[in-house]
Amino acid sequence: MDILVSSVVAGVLIGMVLALVALGLTIIFGVMDIVNFAHGEFLMLGMYTGLLTANATGMDPLLGIPVAAVVGYLLGVACYWGFIRFLLRGPMVAQLLGTFGLMLLLRNLALLLFGSEDRGVNAGLLVGKSVDFGMGVIVPATKLAAAALSLVSFVGVWLLMNRTRVGKALTATALNAQAARYMGIPTERMNALAWGIGGATVTIAGALIVNFWSVNPYVGLLFTMIAFTIVALGGFGSVPGALAAGIVVGLLMEIPGIWDSVAYATEWDWMMDVPVTSFKYTFVYLAYFVIMVVRPRGLFGWKH
Amino acid sequence: MEALRAAFDFSDFRPTERWVSRVVAAFLLAFPLLPVSSFATATMIQFLMFSLYGMGWNTIGGYGGQVDLGKAQYVGIGAYTTAVALIRWDVPFWVSMPVGMGFAVLWSFAIGYPLFRLRGHYFAIATIAASLVLKDLFEVWDFVGAARGLEIPAHRFPTPDFVRLIFKEDVYYYYVLLAFFFGGVLYMNAFRKSRLGYQLRLIKDNEDMARSLGINVHWAKVKTYAIATAFVSMVGSFHACYIKNIEPEDTMSLDLSILIALMAMLGGAGSLWGPIIGAGILIPLKSYFKEWFGARAGLVGMDLILYALIIMVVSAAEPRGIWGLVERYRARKESA
Repeated sequence: MDILVSSVVAGVLIGMVLALVALGLTIIFGVMDIVNFAHGEFLMLGMYTGLLTANATGMDPLLGIPVAAVVGYLLGVACYWGFIRFLLRGPMVAQLLGTFGLMLLLRNLALLLFGSEDRGVNAGLLVGKSVDFGMGVIVPATKLAAAALSLVSFVGVWLLMNRTRVGKALTATALNAQAARYMGIPTERMNALAWGIGGATVTIAGALIVNFWSVNPYVGLLFTMIAFTIVALGGFGSVPGALAAGIVVGLLMEIPGIWDSVAYATEWDWMMDVPVTSFKYTFVYLAYFVIMVVRPRGLFGWKH
Repeated sequence: MEALRAAFDFSDFRPTERWVSRVVAAFLLAFPLLPVSSFATATMIQFLMFSLYGMGWNTIGGYGGQVDLGKAQYVGIGAYTTAVALIRWDVPFWVSMPVGMGFAVLWSFAIGYPLFRLRGHYFAIATIAASLVLKDLFEVWDFVGAARGLEIPAHRFPTPDFVRLIFKEDVYYYYVLLAFFFGGVLYMNAFRKSRLGYQLRLIKDNEDMARSLGINVHWAKVKTYAIATAFVSMVGSFHACYIKNIEPEDTMSLDLSILIALMAMLGGAGSLWGPIIGAGILIPLKSYFKEWFGARAGLVGMDLILYALIIMVVSAAEPRGIWGLVERYRARKESA
């Protein structure tokens, strides 16, 4: 029973971080209807930024977050002005393959610069510590901090989108770019801003994740798929949807643990015989497929 | 009969196109007679394989405009069917290949039927998810060797073995694949002039109009998807016999799916020559970049960086692909 509860808690906590990963993707998609395959690679660069700042300055990895945010913002804006702007004129297939090219580029630049080995943070204020909530729920401090800071970033972005002038202009661009242009909103700059915010949020998530997840240049694709799933579940372009969907996906990722704990508690042989633990992320992909077939607009979708 | 005549009828192409294609065909036939390295032959085999993959993708992706990024799952089905059948029951290639195509087509109905209600991005990403689920299943399924994959014990058979398609020299593989390639070109030539081909192009241009003309849009897409799948699965079976060592990571990965789409799209989606041009340019670039930068200069990743830059420049500057450039040049010459 304890394992069940702690699996659920772990799922919710990782879900909050994953929601932050997906936030940038959903904003970019909402504003300009383009799917970014390189999203996971932004996250990977965020992870490296967090790791390298911590190593270079000797500070705690969590203090590398502002650096990661700046790197992500600049990277996003640069990608937009340098590349994505030209892709938007082409058909959808060119957009998909163009962002795939960007993904290959970033992944292999990382390979060239950082090498292919797994690296992780193994020093810092929070590393190795854990918080005991009673009832057998023991949470690593790094995961707890990551979830809390994700939530803070989430609220920050939500406030930016809904309570500021520039955020309202961004939302207007997302709703109807042509009408926004007639109202005097510089939509090109709004697109660039969306890429900047998208890049910054995902690199922040990367700097948080690197505290408990080792990084290598190939780590991006998994997170891209997870982010796609969250965006599909939460609805393309929906910010609150991303948070709820992130938590659902976090729980999906804990299914193997939950399955095992139920199997051991009940001692049902047929449950033990099913090799659920081997299907690490299959449930995430499967959920994506089912959601797409059943409800393409997502559970909280507002944009078709 | 009608279809057969259409397959051999290239008369609606321009004289220059017909001449160039004859020269290329003659070159392909004579290629192994030239004094070339085994590396070059291997690259040519890759080129032929990816042209065929691209032709398959082009039916649904090029003519139909439905961006499918999950083709690798059908490569996997074809490859695994052939490999399992050969290893366990000693079934010859020429039997297991059509069986694999049958499995792949059945699976394509199961995937395509629900998915073709989606459009655009939604469809594209859902095909990826479907492909990854299948890959994960194969990675834990002991019957097909799980994540270790399967190895065809080539030493058990006397070579050359045309029935099982086990050879020592690449040149045999080359000619078998070249026969597939010419067959593929002829089939695609018939397809583009078939009823289904015209229906698809209308669906791509204006789906609502197609529907109002009484075309069963959904069924047309599912049918074409099955054709594309059969193509890809056929080459997958060949891949199993040629590589002899198949793993889920090689045969069913997202990278392969996207590479397949890339060949057709960079060459020019929706034209007969597009996938061939795309594979003809990208495959040699990819293998020689890898040879020069990866193996010789020791710059790991440099080959793929250049490769990625080419993809980015083409998709941003000429989204209709290299064949789009040719057509633009022609249009300018005619209007001048």
